[in-house]
Amino acid sequence: MSSPCSLIATNVNLKIGQQQILSDICLNVTAGKVVGVLGPNGAGKTSLLKLLSGQLQSGNSVSWNNKLLANYGAIELAQQIAVVNQLNDSVFALNLEQIVRMGLLPHKTLLSKHSKQDDLHIQDAITRVGLEHKTLQSFSSLSGGEQQRGLIARALVQKAALIVLDEPVNHLDVYYQHQVLKLLKSLAHKLNITVVMSLHDLNLAANYCDHLCLLDQGHMLAQGTPKVVLEATLLQQVFRTPCEVTQNNQNSGLRVDFYPPAENESAYSLFKQGETNV
Amino acid sequence: MSNKWWLLSFAALLSPLGAMFFGAADLTASELYRCAVGACQDPTNSLIFWEIRLPRVLVGFLVGAGLAVAGATLQNITRNGLADPYLFGVVSGAGLGASIATLLFDSSMGERWGLLQAFPDFSFTLALPFSAFLGALFAVFFVQLLASKTFGSRTEHMLLAGVAVSFMLSALSHFILFIGEPFAANKVIFWLMGSLARVEVWYAWIMLPVVLVSVGILLLYGRHMDALLLGDENAKTLGVQVTRLRILSLAICAALTACIVSYCGGIGFVGLMIPHIVRNWLGVTSRVVIIGSVLLGGCFMVWVDVLARVALDNQEIPIGIITAAIGSVFFLMAMSQRRN
Repeated sequence: MSSPCSLIATNVNLKIGQQQILSDICLNVTAGKVVGVLGPNGAGKTSLLKLLSGQLQSGNSVSWNNKLLANYGAIELAQQIAVVNQLNDSVFALNLEQIVRMGLLPHKTLLSKHSKQDDLHIQDAITRVGLEHKTLQSFSSLSGGEQQRGLIARALVQKAALIVLDEPVNHLDVYYQHQVLKLLKSLAHKLNITVVMSLHDLNLAANYCDHLCLLDQGHMLAQGTPKVVLEATLLQQVFRTPCEVTQNNQNSGLRVDFYPPAENESAYSLFKQGETNV
Repeated sequence: MSNKWWLLSFAALLSPLGAMFFGAADLTASELYRCAVGACQDPTNSLIFWEIRLPRVLVGFLVGAGLAVAGATLQNITRNGLADPYLFGVVSGAGLGASIATLLFDSSMGERWGLLQAFPDFSFTLALPFSAFLGALFAVFFVQLLASKTFGSRTEHMLLAGVAVSFMLSALSHFILFIGEPFAANKVIFWLMGSLARVEVWYAWIMLPVVLVSVGILLLYGRHMDALLLGDENAKTLGVQVTRLRILSLAICAALTACIVSYCGGIGFVGLMIPHIVRNWLGVTSRVVIIGSVLLGGCFMVWVDVLARVALDNQEIPIGIITAAIGSVFFLMAMSQRRN
């Protein structure tokens, strides 16, 4: 029996044209957990996130809150699941507050007005992500990390119980990578929000995720706690790069180090291997 | 309400009143007032007031408001600040539809084919905007299709597709007029340049509901239109039915453009300039841009029409010449601003 707010994927398959993108993926995530989806380029991470968030049709294979995603209406789904994608550069300069306010959209009818409660809710979300001093600043003028935090604030205003993020720390410097992931972890644990995100950096995944899924060529190779998934032999096989996993003395977590391939393994053979695997 | 909104609201209220003073005949404020309350002593002045100036001012305001709203909507759904009903071929599509209606219902060909006898209840008054609407609808979807399927949806591609469709449909409508009408030159000039010279007050009663209903629907969907600014995928994740909203918005653009082009010809660049100014001055969210475009677009067109009436002695300049002159400079400035 699943808990009320759980995300369950059962034998998820996705085929685009002749290419099998995902094969028999199973996942069971309980509320308040931070889930990291890992894997090399082309492993199917983004496709899996799109299926889990309802952006791609999942048929009878994905359910949230004991209800198949296929049975949710567009607005009902948006009330439950928030998606944080990279924003296109808009030609029209919306400010942070206007972007965050859009999170109210699934909760408003065509005729309903904004209330003072809404304004307080928006301010609260912006304060939670630490951007209260930039409320009226043009969104495109914010740094990458601030934009990402702004979009997380929008997800909070959306009052979603599940937040799905595709590579949320891409293009961010080290400081903002930690800021954004720390924020997501604290939101998950304090507000009981489930966070599912794809990550490239395994050390960040080890530090901030409760549950990891390792994908390769559309297959789920391993899932579980970071200690279960971040296993040197497995990582070496998936990422085709020598690797070592050690205990991190700083925070008792894990530390993953990749090393340059041996001299006798030519770059060309690595490239060819990678090419056939995509 | 901020000072800017007060200023714009007063301008929108006072502009039509102020424009009533301008024209070939000198009418004083007291004479205008007497005419307005039906106590005009000179029947000629009464005629000028009720049959010439009032229709022009009312229709002019609605034309400006409608074109500006159509432009703002096109810019919003394409996320392209250079979108405009004229540049995107909507005006030409409406012109083509109207040309076909002219040919079938209001020419010797119509009489020869007995179309008016075949559809006795479908008068030319209704056939014209309806046919223009179908033409505009065809153009707007054709440009979208070309831009997305053939050329790619980048701003420049959409613009090029729009300009190409615009020329194609204009050429077709001019050809149709030349084939079907012995004295087509006047009509071609009308479609090319636009004019408020022959407007009648009942034009306003047709345009008013179209503009009011369109603005009402766009204001209702304001929050959804804002979400479209984030891109289709992001809007969908907020629960917006993107395809349905896009079709509705394009139909509104087509309806607004069609009812204006049917009666006043092709007037360009208003839909490009006005929303641009409103965004820079008042804000970028859809509801702000729509209301601002109604007020500023209306004021702009009323004063452009005054200029068209008084700039030359004993002659009127087609209104489209003035809007194109101002708009083309504005277009170049906007392009340069985007590049910077």
